[in-house]
Amino acid sequence: MGYDLAGNQPPARESRYRRPRSLVSWSAVLIGFLIGLGGGLFYAWNINPVVQVDTQPWQLTARARAEYMAAIALDFGYDGDLNLAVQRLIELRPQGDPFQMLADAACQLATSGYVDSNAGLQAVQSMKLLYQLQGRTGCADTLVAAVAQPTEVVLSLPTPTPLPPATKTPTQVPTPAPSPTAAAPIQPTVPVQSDFVPPVVRTFCDATLPGIIEIFVQQVGGEGLPLQQVRVRWNDGDNLFLTGLKSERGPGYADFEMEAGLSYIVDIPGRSDPTSSPLIASPCTTETGATSITSYRVFFVEQ
Amino acid sequence: MLRFLLSLAVGLGLGLGLGLYLGWIQFPVEYTDAPPSSLAESYQDDYTVMIAAGYLVDRDVNAALERLRLLEISNIPQYVQNVTERFISSSREVRDIIYMVALSEALGRLTPIMEPYREVNVRGTGG
Repeated sequence: MGYDLAGNQPPARESRYRRPRSLVSWSAVLIGFLIGLGGGLFYAWNINPVVQVDTQPWQLTARARAEYMAAIALDFGYDGDLNLAVQRLIELRPQGDPFQMLADAACQLATSGYVDSNAGLQAVQSMKLLYQLQGRTGCADTLVAAVAQPTEVVLSLPTPTPLPPATKTPTQVPTPAPSPTAAAPIQPTVPVQSDFVPPVVRTFCDATLPGIIEIFVQQVGGEGLPLQQVRVRWNDGDNLFLTGLKSERGPGYADFEMEAGLSYIVDIPGRSDPTSSPLIASPCTTETGATSITSYRVFFVEQ
Repeated sequence: MLRFLLSLAVGLGLGLGLGLYLGWIQFPVEYTDAPPSSLAESYQDDYTVMIAAGYLVDRDVNAALERLRLLEISNIPQYVQNVTERFISSSREVRDIIYMVALSEALGRLTPIMEPYREVNVRGTGG
C-alpha cells in the first residue's frame, strides 16, 4: 500500500471515494422539486389563479342559483318539458334530490323580498308547481298561496301560407232554411266557471287619484282575499297583478293606473266575468271644480 | 457546491412546472360565489330563453325585464334583440327562437329577420 506525496494513504478499492462522482445530486433535485412544486401551486392558486369568466350555474351565489331555478320552473310552466327541467337542475349540481333543492330554493325566495313583486311571486308559483308535481314540499307551500294562471291559446305561424288560387266554378253560399220553430238555445258543453258574482263598478273623481282602477277582491262577508290574480286589458296590452301587495289598503286590494283616453276591462282570469262595460279614462271634474280623470272601484265578491 | 446548486435548480424547475400545471390546468381554482354576469354565454342564453318562456306564461314584460336584470346587462332590450338575431342566424332550435322573438317583440325590438318566427296569440276571453 503506497502513500501519495502528502503522505496520505489512498482510499480502499471499494470506498465511495474511488467511484466516479454522479453529475446530479438527487437530494438537491428532490429539495428543489418540492420547493418548486409548493411555489408553483401557491402561485397558481393564490397569486395568479385562473380567472373564470365562463362560469356555470352551479358556481353562482346562492341567491342567483335560486333565481336560476326560478327561471327553470318558469320555462317548465310554459312547455312542460320535465326532462329539460331535470337536466337543467342537475347542472346546478344538487347535493341530493334536485326537486328538493328546488323546494328549498323556493322557500329561500319566499322568505325574502323576492316575492314583493309580481315577477317574483309568479316565479315562486312556478317553482311550487314543478316541485309539487314531483311530490316535494317546502315552506313556500304555506308562505305563498296558489294563484290561478291565465288561459291562452298560442298559434304558431312560422311561415306565411299562400292563399289557394280562386276556383272558376262559382260556389253556392248555403242559406239557412227558415224554421217555423224558434231555435233551441245552444247549451255550452263546459259550464262557465265563475267563482265570483259579476263585478260591481263604481266611479269617482279625485284630483289626487286621477285615472286609477281600485280593485277589491272579497269574500261574501267583505273580508279581502289576498294574492288573487287580477287582469286588466286594454286595446293592445294587458297586465296581471295580485291583490294584497299594498297591505295598508287591505289584503284584497290592488290598483292600476290608466292612461288618459284609453278603455280597460278588468277580470280575474278563469274565475270571474269581466267588467260588463269598458272602464274609460275620461276627463272629469271634482266637487271642488278641479279637472281630473275618472277613476273606478271594481268589486269582485265570491259567490 | 456547484453540482448541488445545479441539481437544486433542475428540481426547482421541474417542481415549479408541475405545480403550475396542477394549479392552472388539472386542479384550477373553482369559484363558487360567482356573480351571474360571469356566466358562460351559453348559460346566459339558456337563462334568457327560460325567461322568454316565462314571459309567454304571464305576458308580463316588466316581470321579464326584472328577471333579466340578474344578468347585470345595461340595455336589456338591445341584449334580447342581439341574442334573438344570433339565434336566428346560427339556426338555433326553433322553439327557442320563437320564445325569444315573442320577448323581443314585447320589448319593441321586432326586426325583419324575426318576422317569420312571430306568433299570433289569441287570448282567452277570461270569463
